[in-house]
Amino acid sequence: MEIDLEQTDEEYVIQRAKECFKTDPYSAKAWMLTAKSLYPNNFTVQFEAYLIEKDAGNVKEAAKCFSDLISKFQQTPDLWKEIEKVTVALRSETDTDDVETQFLCEMFKHISSEVQHKLLLFTADHCEDTMEHCRLLLLLLQRFPTAISSYGPRLVDTLMSAEKHSVDGYYPINSYRKLLVCELLPLLAKQEIKLDLNQKLLLKLLNKAIEYYLCYLGRSSTTIQDTESSIENTWFKLFSVIEFIGKQLNWEPYLINFTLNWSKETYWQKILNYCQSKPKNNMYDDKQLLFCLSLFFMYCLNEYNASLFPESSPGQTSTHYLLVEAFTDPTLPNPMSEPKSKKRKSDTDIIHTTNPYISVEKPDLKAIHSNFLMCVNCWDLLYSSESLHREFLKIHSNLKIDSWLSVFVIDFAIYRARYDEALICCQKISDNNMLLQKYIRLASIFYIKKNYSSCLEPILLALPLLPANNPGVLSNNLIVGGNQRHLHYLPLTKMAMLQYIVKVLLRCIKENMGKHDYSELSIGHIFVLVQLDWPQEEDFIPALLEEIQQHRSFQYHLFQNYIINVDIMEELTYLWTSQGGQIHLEIIPNLGSQRRIGTRGADKGAKEELKQAIKKQVARSNEKLDDLLINFIQNERALLLQTLV
Amino acid sequence: MSGSSEVNLKQTLRKIEYPLCAQEALKKIGELLCSRTTNIKSMDLSLDLMAEFVFWEVDRRGNKRPHPLTPLAELELIEILFEYLSNIPNEATRNTLFLNLFSPITANIRLGVLSKLVSLAVGIPNSNILVCASTWMQQLGNTSISSCKLAESIVFDYIHLATKPEERLKTLPEIAPPFVANLLTAVAENYYVTKKDRKYPPDVLLSCITNWISENSTLCMAAQLRQAALPPGAIAMEATTPIAGLLKWCVLAPIYRQDQEIYSKLYLALLNSISEIPKSNPPRAINVQHLTAIVTPLVQYFRDLKSRDESKNLIITDVPLQLALDRFGQAIQIALSVNAVYGNLDELFNSLQNLPFNKLLSIVINRYNQNKVTVIIV
Repeated sequence: MEIDLEQTDEEYVIQRAKECFKTDPYSAKAWMLTAKSLYPNNFTVQFEAYLIEKDAGNVKEAAKCFSDLISKFQQTPDLWKEIEKVTVALRSETDTDDVETQFLCEMFKHISSEVQHKLLLFTADHCEDTMEHCRLLLLLLQRFPTAISSYGPRLVDTLMSAEKHSVDGYYPINSYRKLLVCELLPLLAKQEIKLDLNQKLLLKLLNKAIEYYLCYLGRSSTTIQDTESSIENTWFKLFSVIEFIGKQLNWEPYLINFTLNWSKETYWQKILNYCQSKPKNNMYDDKQLLFCLSLFFMYCLNEYNASLFPESSPGQTSTHYLLVEAFTDPTLPNPMSEPKSKKRKSDTDIIHTTNPYISVEKPDLKAIHSNFLMCVNCWDLLYSSESLHREFLKIHSNLKIDSWLSVFVIDFAIYRARYDEALICCQKISDNNMLLQKYIRLASIFYIKKNYSSCLEPILLALPLLPANNPGVLSNNLIVGGNQRHLHYLPLTKMAMLQYIVKVLLRCIKENMGKHDYSELSIGHIFVLVQLDWPQEEDFIPALLEEIQQHRSFQYHLFQNYIINVDIMEELTYLWTSQGGQIHLEIIPNLGSQRRIGTRGADKGAKEELKQAIKKQVARSNEKLDDLLINFIQNERALLLQTLV
Repeated sequence: MSGSSEVNLKQTLRKIEYPLCAQEALKKIGELLCSRTTNIKSMDLSLDLMAEFVFWEVDRRGNKRPHPLTPLAELELIEILFEYLSNIPNEATRNTLFLNLFSPITANIRLGVLSKLVSLAVGIPNSNILVCASTWMQQLGNTSISSCKLAESIVFDYIHLATKPEERLKTLPEIAPPFVANLLTAVAENYYVTKKDRKYPPDVLLSCITNWISENSTLCMAAQLRQAALPPGAIAMEATTPIAGLLKWCVLAPIYRQDQEIYSKLYLALLNSISEIPKSNPPRAINVQHLTAIVTPLVQYFRDLKSRDESKNLIITDVPLQLALDRFGQAIQIALSVNAVYGNLDELFNSLQNLPFNKLLSIVINRYNQNKVTVIIV
């Protein structure tokens, strides 16, 4: 053994330990123990001892050394690096094959929980990055559930104030909120303990969670990769938050149980039971009703909105649906008298007895209807008391869920026949994606309000927006029997919407005819408009023909451009014949001013010309009616307006 | 108890055949020793009963019997003692009886029975009797001749005679930690004794002890950590820990060419045990004299070496000596660092001056002197 005189005592002892590590590990450890005992306050020696154990893969011994280091040398940068390695390792424990990471995690397990706790807490406290600090505290709580009662509330505070001061704190989906809502709250919820959090803070937490998840849902509905299941999952998470907060606040267990055999109908029943169990005067100060009901409403609303935009099968364009005022025909059988609707009426007495009939395009869309009714139930209850309503408005404005509500509030107003309200809401719509819906609704409302002249403008605005990529087909459900009001979930396809627009326009013109004595223009327009889903509305025709016969002449210069329906042409030419009453028809522009047709045998040439013109029109009878009608409305707006004023 | 009833009692017992009378006598002895009012007379009577009816040492007239117990009778006696003692629920009562049955005066002649009884308790194992044995060793001194003989006998039974002793004895420290601690102290005394025919522990014993201590770093302190339940008025004797004794093995092993790796492991286990000795003021784990005793054989070896070779270099580079000194220095350092040594430390450090140079030892000595200076200044 050589003795190096330059060597310090510390170096000598460490060197001896290192020397014999390969040949005699026991003796090496004995040297290490000696070194540690000789120089208990020398970081280099202690750290070297740790490194030797670490290199040798001795988990327990390394843990012991590491514990000593932590209790003695918290301020040493080299140790900090190592501590950082440990915390990094802990966070990536599950997804790594790295030997060192695994060793450090294993070592952590052998550190006394007191020191583990200290390690995480110190790391967190010394962490300059708040996010990192919170992550570490969270790690601490995950590892030491017993620390939750003391550090849980603190971390809640830290996260909330960090969020307030962070750059993206104004937006509900930020990293602090995510940590708070997705990691910390579930962790707190797992502990069946009462936490030291006051009611105000708990409600604030609940608000934050709701805001976060709703915002998340709002975002995911626009991204395609998010599947239905993840939306369900999000609601499940949100429900577990309310379950946790509710438990902390001693809310009724049945109101915060969203797991066992949960369904919207049974939950609604529970809410009704709850309301009945409370004395009327103080029930509405109740936060649990407010939050449970609001959240439930939001859930129903989300389902409703989703059902308005059902997913399409792959490769197909998805079709959205829009609630519009549709039409009735008293001569047809009344769908309301079917037994099914009776059952619905008796279900809940909140639904008004004068409710309109609501139809959907096909049976598998009935969910839209029931989802809507559940939203209506909630909405009515929320509006049943001033204080409840006021509180809900607060939540609602906090949550910024206007976009969620925008469709429903209009639907609801239409449903309740509050057209002025609906009109104001519609006019507020500025979202470019909602313009088509906006114009359709405006036209519909103006029609209902008998403000016929205002109808044309939204119709003209709607036409260019019709979806060319979703042609669709004509609807068979726009008219039902009976006298009651009829609402329909109109598919937002090119055909169905054009059909709806045309029907509205047709009725506007028809109903406006009373203002004028004999409007040949109105009659002509109606002839053009009924062509689209001929013969569904052929009933309009006989009365008009009769009117023409009474006046013995009919002038409509747009005939050649827009009337190609054989049946209508047949009726018109019949009028012209002697059996039809030899009505004077002025339907070919050039003829009208120079020669009078119909003067008995006066002008054979003119007669021939008319025949040729009719023939020409018949030849066009296979033309596409949708384009024809769009052209008609767009090109003849001035003439149309004449009939609407 | 009056004199006549004493005679009656003996008469009654004499009518019962041996060893059944031992059973009856034990019950009587138990009553006599553990009743609330014990006096000299009943003590005497119980001693008489033990000698005549339990151990079959004297006849009715108090004369020594010419023949000792037959092995069979002795076996029956051991069984009776075992049954009787192990079924006494109260630890103090049990210890009182045990200490009286094998009192310092009689222990030597009854050691055969005692050893076999304890050996049986180790094999069963029976913690009640092992606690008695532990208390007994401690009260008589765990380095006393009797304790060492008991230890020797146990080692003989289990290390030399039994098969797979390591397995059989593996759990003993969990069953009776103080007993094992006292046993180790006694065992340590039986080897590395400076005599002409020096004995070394067999490897099996070494590995057994090493396993025990490696797996349980508080084992060495177990006898001190647990207070034995003693008869009223008895003074509890401090247990000597096995640390110094076993250290001696490890330190001296190299110079006696005991080079097995197991010593290195045992030694490390001891160091770990020392470093985990709980704080105590004043220290009580290691007697400084027991450490100082290690110096003598080292000095002797050093002198022998010097007499064979005059060159001082050879001594410094003598690997076994340096290894021994390294170990010794390490142990002293660690023991001092946890304040586990009691007694006059100067005595130890003065005697260390007689040893040849060793870098670590000199570091330790310097450290000691520095600290002393600091203490004086403070």
